[in-house]
Amino acid sequence: MATDRTAAVTWKGSLMEGAGTIHEAGSGAFGPLDVSWASRAEDANGKTSPEELIAAAHAACFAMALSHGLAQAGTPAEQLDTSATVTFQPGVGITRVALTVRGSVPGLDEAGFVAQAAGAKDGCPVSKALAAVPEITLDAALA
Amino acid sequence: MPRITREAEITWEGNVARGSGAMTAASSGAFTGLGYSAPTRIGNPEGKTSPEELLAAAHGGCFTMSLASELTKGGTPPEHLDVSCVITMDEVEGKGHQIVHSEIRALGVVPGCDEAGFAQAAEAADASCPFSALLRASATVAVTASLS
Repeated sequence: MATDRTAAVTWKGSLMEGAGTIHEAGSGAFGPLDVSWASRAEDANGKTSPEELIAAAHAACFAMALSHGLAQAGTPAEQLDTSATVTFQPGVGITRVALTVRGSVPGLDEAGFVAQAAGAKDGCPVSKALAAVPEITLDAALA
Repeated sequence: MPRITREAEITWEGNVARGSGAMTAASSGAFTGLGYSAPTRIGNPEGKTSPEELLAAAHGGCFTMSLASELTKGGTPPEHLDVSCVITMDEVEGKGHQIVHSEIRALGVVPGCDEAGFAQAAEAADASCPFSALLRASATVAVTASLS
């Protein structure tokens, strides 16, 4: 069954001088969030950006896929701490995503954890959607 | 050109069926501790966001900035743009869950720009938005645009 998720954005003015708002999310979980070109391409100054939202989506999807893989293998995670850092080069595009994870997984050794993390990195839906990013790296270790 | 990085952090506890996670915007601090879980990702959101909702916000935000840029380049900066984005995730046979489609709708108030010019700017924005280009590699992206 297909799942739809919706977001809406309002922008006023030119790219450089104007500013936008990401409206309250369809779920109601966040927003409104302000966005601008300056806060996207220079210092964030407390404002999110498309790249930060992609980072949150990817790190969240990766954590969920890894927890699933670990449970399937009979070694469910107690806790996973993941992060994603998205690199954006104006005029070029999104050039890199760096994923990290530290996990507390009773009964699993380092090599087993790293192998599970690599599988989650390749298999999670957001990784597949970002497959055209030139470089996606993974740093995985037990906590 | 400068390279810009943006980071987010997630904590997940428990297995996928019953566990849950929390997401934080680490670079900006614009959001913290947003909860999510498998049931609210696939089924009714029940007030919780999901990776796909964040992708919808990201793609909507990225496209909108590209559209503002294209209109400004054309000498008709927008007064007001309203853009919505719907991301669809589906189970694809043999491949599990995949992001299969992004649907963008743009409405604009753009002094000095006619319908044809606005549609052309939206097409150029789709081509120049870095996230549209990435999504196109594995999903379909559809853009409709009209003046309001």
